[in-house]
Amino acid sequence: MIDGVDYAQRYIEDVRAGEELARVEDEITYRRVIMNPATTWDYFPGHHDPEYARAQGQPTIYVNTMHFLGFIDRLIAEWAGPRSFLARRKISLHQSIYAGDTMVGGGHVVGTRREERAGRVRHLVDVEMTLGNQRGERCASVLATVALPSRTAADRDPLW
Amino acid sequence: MSALGSTGYDIATGTFEDAKAMIGHTTPVRFGEVPVNVAMVRHFAAMVRDANAGFWDEEFATEQWGGIIAPPAMLMTWVMPLEWKPGSDLPVPLLTARVPLPGTTFVNASNDTEFFEPIRVGDILNISEELVDVSPEKRTAIGTGHFVTTSSTFRRQDGTLVARMTNVLFRFVEAPVEETPAEEPDQ
Repeated sequence: MIDGVDYAQRYIEDVRAGEELARVEDEITYRRVIMNPATTWDYFPGHHDPEYARAQGQPTIYVNTMHFLGFIDRLIAEWAGPRSFLARRKISLHQSIYAGDTMVGGGHVVGTRREERAGRVRHLVDVEMTLGNQRGERCASVLATVALPSRTAADRDPLW
Repeated sequence: MSALGSTGYDIATGTFEDAKAMIGHTTPVRFGEVPVNVAMVRHFAAMVRDANAGFWDEEFATEQWGGIIAPPAMLMTWVMPLEWKPGSDLPVPLLTARVPLPGTTFVNASNDTEFFEPIRVGDILNISEELVDVSPEKRTAIGTGHFVTTSSTFRRQDGTLVARMTNVLFRFVEAPVEETPAEEPDQ
C-alpha cells in the first residue's frame, strides 16, 4: 500500500439509487491549463495561447475535453474504487472552464443494472454528473456507466 | 492577420456541400507514436489529481489489471500526432479538422465513448475515424457554423477492440457580438 493512493472499494451490493457522489472543487490555474498540452499532446491554441482564445471570443485559455474527462473519471473512481471499470461516458459541453476558474463536479447514482453476456454477469451502475464553475454555471453534463465487482462473486464477474 | 489564422492545425476550408460529400469517409488505420507508458499516465494523473491505485501502485495494478493502466480520459492522447518527427512534414490532423467547411476555428460540443478493454502500459493503440454527419448551418452565441460528428474506433496492436468514440465538434466563424443564446447540438 502506498500512502495517499486510493484503494477503498465499493461493491455493487453497497450501491443505492439517488446516492450522491462527493462534490469536488478544483482550482484551475494557468499552470494547470498549460498541463493540458503537456500531458495530452493537444496543441490546439485555445489551451495555451490567450490571444488566440480571445480572438475566438473567449476571455482566456480554457481546459480541453480530456481534462474534463479526466476530472470525471477521477470523481467516478473516487466513489466507485480502483477495481471498477468505466464502461461508457457521455459528455455534453455547454461552456468552457477558463484559467482562473474553479472546476466543480458532483453527481448521483441513477440506478443499477445487471447485464448478462455470453453467460457472464456484469454489474453496472449509471451515474449522472454535472461539471460547473465557481459562479454556479453549468459547463458540462455527463452520463456514465461503471462496472463494479460483487461481494459474492468478485472473482468470477467480469468488469469488461 | 488575426490570431485565428494560426490554429497550429491545417484546417481544410470549403463549403457545406464539400463537407457533405465527405460523409462516410473513413481514414486508414493510424498507429500512435509511442506505447502507453507510466510517465505520461502519471503526468496526466497529476494534472487531474487522481490517486487511483491503478495508476500509482504497480503491485495492485498488476494483480487487478495485468499492469499499470491509463486513465480512460487519455484515450485520444495515445494516437495524437507528434509535432515533428524525422523525415516527416506537418502532423496529420484529426479527421474533424480535415472536413472542408467555412469555419476558421472550432470548439468541442460532445463526446460519447464506450470502453471494451482496460488500456495498459505497453499497449500501442491505433485509430480509424469516420465522418458520420455535418449539420446544416447553425447560429450560436459564439458564432455561426456546423456541427461535425465523427466516429472513431480504437484497437490495440493485437487487433483487440479497445474503445469506440463518437465526437461532435462545432466548426465556426466567431460572432462579432454575442446576441443569440447558445444552441445545443441535436442529439
